[in-house]
Amino acid sequence: MRFNRRSLLRGLSQGCAVSVALPFLDCFLDGNGTALAATAERIPTRFGTYFWGCGLTKELYLPKAVGQGYEMTPQLKSLSAYQKKINLISGLRAFADDNPNIQHWTGVAAISTGMAPSKDREFETQTIDQTIAGAIGHGTRFKSLAVACSGNKNESYSSLGGPNTNPPDVSPVGLYTRLFGPGFQDPSKGDWKPDPKVLLEQSALSVVDEDRKSLMQNVGAGDKARLEQYFTSVRELEQTMAAELQRPDIVAQVSIPSAPGEMPVNKSVPTLRKVVPVMAKLVALGLATDQTRVVNVALAEPASTIFMPGDSKPFHQATHEEPIDPALGYQPVTSQFSTYSMEMFAELVKALDDIKEGDGTLLDHSLILAYTDTGFAKLHTLEAIPMLLAGSASGRVKTGFHIAGEGGPVTRVGLTVQQAMGLAVESWGKASMETKKPITEILA
Amino acid sequence: MSRKCAASCLLVLSGIGGLLFSAPAWAAKVPEPIVSFRLLTESEYRHSIADIFGPQILVQGRFEPGRRMGGLLAASSNVLSVTPAGFEGYAKTAGSIADQVTSPEKRAQFIKCTPKAASAPDDACAGQFIGRYGRLLFRRPLSSDELKSRVGLAAKIATSSKDFYTGLRYALAVTLLAAPEFLFQNERAVPAGKDLTLDAYSRASRLSYLMWNTTPDEELLHAAASGELASDAGVAKQVDRLMASPRLETGMRAFFADMLQLDTFDNTVKDTLIYQKYNAQFGPSATEETLRTAIDLTLKSNGDVRDLMTTRKTTINRTLAAIYNVPFDFDGEWMPYEFSKESGRSGILTQVSMLSMFSHPGRSSPTKRGVALMDIFLCEPTPLPPANVDFSIVNNTNGPLKTVRERLLAHATTPACASCHTHSDPIGLSLEHFDSIGSERLTENGAPIDVSGKLNKKSFDGAQGLGQVLHDDPKFTACFARKLYSYGVGANSEDVDAASFKAAYKTFTDKGYRLRDLLKAIASSPEFFKVSAPEPAEKMAMER
Repeated sequence: MRFNRRSLLRGLSQGCAVSVALPFLDCFLDGNGTALAATAERIPTRFGTYFWGCGLTKELYLPKAVGQGYEMTPQLKSLSAYQKKINLISGLRAFADDNPNIQHWTGVAAISTGMAPSKDREFETQTIDQTIAGAIGHGTRFKSLAVACSGNKNESYSSLGGPNTNPPDVSPVGLYTRLFGPGFQDPSKGDWKPDPKVLLEQSALSVVDEDRKSLMQNVGAGDKARLEQYFTSVRELEQTMAAELQRPDIVAQVSIPSAPGEMPVNKSVPTLRKVVPVMAKLVALGLATDQTRVVNVALAEPASTIFMPGDSKPFHQATHEEPIDPALGYQPVTSQFSTYSMEMFAELVKALDDIKEGDGTLLDHSLILAYTDTGFAKLHTLEAIPMLLAGSASGRVKTGFHIAGEGGPVTRVGLTVQQAMGLAVESWGKASMETKKPITEILA
Repeated sequence: MSRKCAASCLLVLSGIGGLLFSAPAWAAKVPEPIVSFRLLTESEYRHSIADIFGPQILVQGRFEPGRRMGGLLAASSNVLSVTPAGFEGYAKTAGSIADQVTSPEKRAQFIKCTPKAASAPDDACAGQFIGRYGRLLFRRPLSSDELKSRVGLAAKIATSSKDFYTGLRYALAVTLLAAPEFLFQNERAVPAGKDLTLDAYSRASRLSYLMWNTTPDEELLHAAASGELASDAGVAKQVDRLMASPRLETGMRAFFADMLQLDTFDNTVKDTLIYQKYNAQFGPSATEETLRTAIDLTLKSNGDVRDLMTTRKTTINRTLAAIYNVPFDFDGEWMPYEFSKESGRSGILTQVSMLSMFSHPGRSSPTKRGVALMDIFLCEPTPLPPANVDFSIVNNTNGPLKTVRERLLAHATTPACASCHTHSDPIGLSLEHFDSIGSERLTENGAPIDVSGKLNKKSFDGAQGLGQVLHDDPKFTACFARKLYSYGVGANSEDVDAASFKAAYKTFTDKGYRLRDLLKAIASSPEFFKVSAPEPAEKMAMER
């Protein structure tokens, strides 16, 4: 039996809130009042993205060998412990087709939407995390989450399309409060009960939804789309509130930590080294407690301005200003920033793998797409953009491979990811990036 | 005046349950088309709540972030919508506001009637509260249907929770504060000859958010209800009243903050190993200095807007005094200060804000400064650079080219770069006597800095030279007028037809470039309220 807002509200109007809460709980507890035993079938598969700007250094990251057992290169060193749980995909490219190569943007949009963008810093259509969230994100408190590690509230690469992006959480304490602040009840505690306020809120939201018709008949086409998005957001809140009425079914072994304190959040690398691990742990906890199944973590913007104190050149400046060292064959300072960006990714991978869940870890039940905007930031190339996939999506992805993309479209990864997440998609991408070829080597 | 609105005013005032739900037949008529939805900015939202419920009501939450278009965040209010995560934020903020308003400690202040029983619905009392705050929040009276559904919800929730005030709490939070009619300014149009113009309530909102950065006050709403705002004379009267109020300062601070892109500080950080004087007070102090300068000069002294480029008068606090390297000898927090001619300073161009926002964390950037100044003051955005250019010779600070100037001039060897860099760099280079946090420095890597510059074939020297050239350039004043008009109507300044503010601009120039003259001319012009029919136009015409 499932409860919905209307049946519960009827219950509420006939008695006090607590008395209706009791039979409700019976659905989820066995006779002894403890949570049902964990079974692997109940563990959801999660999806995430990790975005970093300005790419990697080919000379330092690209392994010579392909397939399994490839050598871990200097720039991937931080991921060594997880080599068997990740895939590295090199050599795929984005195509701008008739659109210009919008610096530090065409690559981002191509990978996340399958389309070359026509406008700077605007997605033409929804990003892949939202497509996946549409399929797997319902029934959780948050359909998806976005996190901007460097504190910029405009830095989100998750969007339903158009000028809006999903606003990110920009500080550890903000993210903590959203996940574990008001509205959250620890499902491992015995006294969990649905909050009657949720029912009232849902019931009130339906009144807002009723205004929809009268507003819609009076607006022009452009505003209609914006208003539709507003009402979609209203309905999504109604749905996520429905999730708050059900005790989350958690298999992962986690306990809820106390709130992190206020800490500085900015683009300096030492600050990021403190902030990213905290953000990563919170993201992992959000997934583990099944409050969301889709997360987006951005290290910094595509033209990344992360910087090392004492050096006047931030990452993006360094990519353009630093000459290629003739002896080394690459830009030494620039490459350091790429290495830092991988170290921060390793923090996220670690946070997921540290959480035991069922007979594996949270990472095993996740698929995280790590991507960047360019293959060679100095020249804004769209060729050979490095991508990584961490986690095996509950066994649907084989891991430990280095796949050489050989000039194929970046959308092959997007297609692979969607299929691994269980979406019935046969082809993905537009124009030169339309593909029907997932990376079959890693699909289980 | 809209008849629909008169009806609901009457209904609300009557506050009688029986009357409440029996709207006359004509109230159901199709209302005027909505020609634009403008998402309230965070500061508009905050000011509106403070005016409606009082400053003691805390607004805590997050907002859909704006996007700068055509130099203004205000323009994005007309293209942004509300995302699921954004709505979650608005709903939480709304809930927190409603909790405070209906709390046992505060409710007497807001709920002027007493319910028959605190544990049961009371439609008359609920209708009074919802009607009153609905009108303030929606910036127009609620229609009878709108009121009916909200009172019905309050009753339903009062019944189920056995608490009248819980009913009001949800009606307020969800159906008013989180409703699109509050979160967006809904601008409705009525015919004006062959054209469309905003209806009286939409006019009230547009005037109020432009001039005071907040929701229309009681008098503006009255002027809308009485039809006064539908006439030019009525608009002029209200504009004069709004202009005369000290709240004009709030409105113009919001405009200057947007136009001068002061929100850039949200994401500005300096390298503290290089700049030890940088601390957490830096951004807020620099923002405040620039806003004080702008308001003091243009409003309080009714000065010439062009002097923003040249004035050496400012107001600084202790943090800024350290960066400017001047003694802070003052009892209060903000000390009036005038830089000497020899300081090389020139208006807001050389304030810490402009110099530091458009620099890198560890060094200045003539390109960033040049691009920003061209965009902000001359309405000339710089196109994106070509994608596949190798910049390394240009920018290698360890190579033979010592100063930024030498390195930037090397761009001229690449024609694809030259077209833009010759456009913006000479402006930025003239500011090179000031480092990334705005302190003075006369050498770079041991070499003296040449601060000669060029703008539209006019050569000049240093920041003061640049300030004078901008001061004298009609493009600056035209850009200023364009930005103010675009800000007021929520349009992308690059798409605005110059004819829309031509008459206002003439008044501005004829009267000596006073902000008040420009603002008044814009706000009282028919162009300020003129709107185009929403797509699809044919369908609308048929309906009318």
